[in-house]
Amino acid sequence: MTALTLDVRDVTKRFGDGETAVLAVRGVSLAVQPGEIVLIMGPSGSGKTTLLSMMGALLKPTGGSIRLDGTAISELSESRLPDIRLRQFGFIFQDFNLLSALSVLENVAIVAELAGLRGRAARDKATTLLTELGLAARLDFLPEKLSGGEKQRVAIARALINDPTLILADEPTANLDSKIGHEIMRLLRSIAKEQGRSVVIVSHDQRIRDIADRVLWLEDGAFKDIVTMATDPVCGMAVERERAVSAEKDGDTFFCCSRGCREEFLGGLREDGRADGRQPHGWSRLAGALRSRRRRASTTQSDAS
Amino acid sequence: MSATLLLARRNLARNRVRLLASVGGVALALSLTLALDAIYAGVANQLTTYIDRAGADVWVAQGGVRNLHMVASTLPESVVDQVKAVDGVATVTPILEATDTVAAGDERAVAYVIGLPADASMGGPWEVVEGRGQVGPGEIVVDLAFARKAGVRIGDSVGVLGGEARIVGLSRGTASLVNSVAFVSIDDFRAMRGGAPVVSFVLVRVAPGASPEAVAADIERLVAGVTAQSRSTFVAQERRIVTDMSADVISIMSVIGFVVALAVVALTVHVATLARRREFGVLKALGARNRVLYRIVLVQAVLSVAVGYAIGLAFTGLLGFAVGRTDLNLELAVTADSLAKVGLFAAAIAGFAAILPIRQVAGVDPAVVFRRGAPA
Ligand SMILES: Nc1ncnc2c1ncn2[C@@H]1O[C@H](COP(=O)(O)OP(=O)(O)O)[C@@H](O)[C@H]1O
Ligand SMILES: [Mg+2]
Repeated sequence: MTALTLDVRDVTKRFGDGETAVLAVRGVSLAVQPGEIVLIMGPSGSGKTTLLSMMGALLKPTGGSIRLDGTAISELSESRLPDIRLRQFGFIFQDFNLLSALSVLENVAIVAELAGLRGRAARDKATTLLTELGLAARLDFLPEKLSGGEKQRVAIARALINDPTLILADEPTANLDSKIGHEIMRLLRSIAKEQGRSVVIVSHDQRIRDIADRVLWLEDGAFKDIVTMATDPVCGMAVERERAVSAEKDGDTFFCCSRGCREEFLGGLREDGRADGRQPHGWSRLAGALRSRRRRASTTQSDAS
Repeated sequence: MSATLLLARRNLARNRVRLLASVGGVALALSLTLALDAIYAGVANQLTTYIDRAGADVWVAQGGVRNLHMVASTLPESVVDQVKAVDGVATVTPILEATDTVAAGDERAVAYVIGLPADASMGGPWEVVEGRGQVGPGEIVVDLAFARKAGVRIGDSVGVLGGEARIVGLSRGTASLVNSVAFVSIDDFRAMRGGAPVVSFVLVRVAPGASPEAVAADIERLVAGVTAQSRSTFVAQERRIVTDMSADVISIMSVIGFVVALAVVALTVHVATLARRREFGVLKALGARNRVLYRIVLVQAVLSVAVGYAIGLAFTGLLGFAVGRTDLNLELAVTADSLAKVGLFAAAIAGFAAILPIRQVAGVDPAVVFRRGAPA
């Protein structure tokens, strides 16, 4: 594929000055291809959100450049940015960020109106899209009356309404239970694969690896080799092997994020008759972790660009 | 843009307390000005009722006298014929006028007493509800409301101008908050005042097709020592007594009302904007320009002020209605001028209130959308 959708080159972001300055992103490079799903993982505070904000033209980098189909959006004046955000990007958030005073339909239609569609046309377009996403019966509901999964589907409809090139999602499944989270992931995958849009997802959620074409690990503001990563069998968090608390079981080594998880993991295996309701969950996580461990063995992709 | 309008309306409606505060504040402040204006306009109307209803097109007074009230006009009787001789004058009626009291039993009320000739074609009572409007020697026509209050009726005697007169007619529309109009014979009036051959005003009806202004100018030119004004000029002149008197009071109250309303609206719009910072950030991240956000803020301000204005107007109307039902002879007149003035106030309030949050809105960082906040 020749056309680059989004090209991030040596991007740096510093917050504040002097002594108190925080270097949130340090010289990150990344190219996102059309139709590609990129997952960015990493510990809390590693700069994932900062990077995503810069990719979405919500935040100006301190250094480096971000190009969208050849246009350096990181250089554009503030007055040019609203149009780019409106037509090129679709955002999806952990908190959904729906406008609480507007109905489902209005939440989506208002974004089409911002792009110039008249009231009626905007509502029709939003209705069609929401119907495709299975929300036909919810059009007149206020966000507060929706379940988490429904809210996120509304947010996805809103992100898609102006035919964006790129979808940027920050922890899109973090506030959803695992079944609904899965649904949202499948939806994101079909958006990428059937509609040819690029999707960049920032997440802690290991399950998103299943749908990602590429997984990148951000730490201390820079991409790190992903091969050294493992998944906590209890909480599902990605952990760096060197820093993890390890647990030996049946000749296998597991990596846990904390002592608590390690004890729960070992305890859960020991007292396998205990019905505390969390166990099956723990087990399915474990199964997932084993699966991804196997896959990782064949993954060599550690080059971030 | 309909969706942003909708958003402004919904945001406003969602916080009832805030809406109530801003709308109530505006209503209160604006109705303060509206009601004061209406009261003074009502008083001015009452003050000019006699001039309006006397039936004269031109009023001729002593040179330099431009009002009916607060001044005295004295003209030699010979002026009457001189005025009548001026081209364009159809008929004339001389009257005597003085502020006095009419007394019946314990009831004593201030009245403008008008002395009318027996053949008066103008200047008499315009709505006689009982008895007759012509007054001969020893007779008087008094206001119906006064008669009711004093407990007198046709045939009873009242004290006026230091003598007595018998009631022959009751008139309506001849009372105001502070006084009423009573009609006596010009001969009685003159006799009680020492008999000098003088009149207060000469009322003129102009010939068909003649302009009152032109006739008034001719009278002033041809008759020495008089001031002649068309009815409309005279009315305007008379109203100025009230407006001059009330201007300061109304100005002060209007300024207070304006400041109070502005403060309330500005504060509520400001707080509403603050409370919606995150949603403004979301809109920005979705691609809304600052001016879209300004419009939302402005629409919120305009809506609260418009609703407040409407409520203030309704309140003033209601107050007028309530006052009309009391036996106070007070009339509230909401004039177009007053509506326009207060409307302008309201627009200015909305405008100023919306300016304040502009910096706030411009400063909203679209990157807030990724920070954890209250889930929508
Ligand atoms: N607006 C900001 N001002 C100052 N520091 C910030 C700001 N945003 C993020 N940071 C800092 O930058 C670092 C990366 O933050 P963030 O991108 O939110 O990480 P992540 O999303 O991976 O948890 C953190 O140390 C955070 O405190
Ligand atoms: Mg984050």
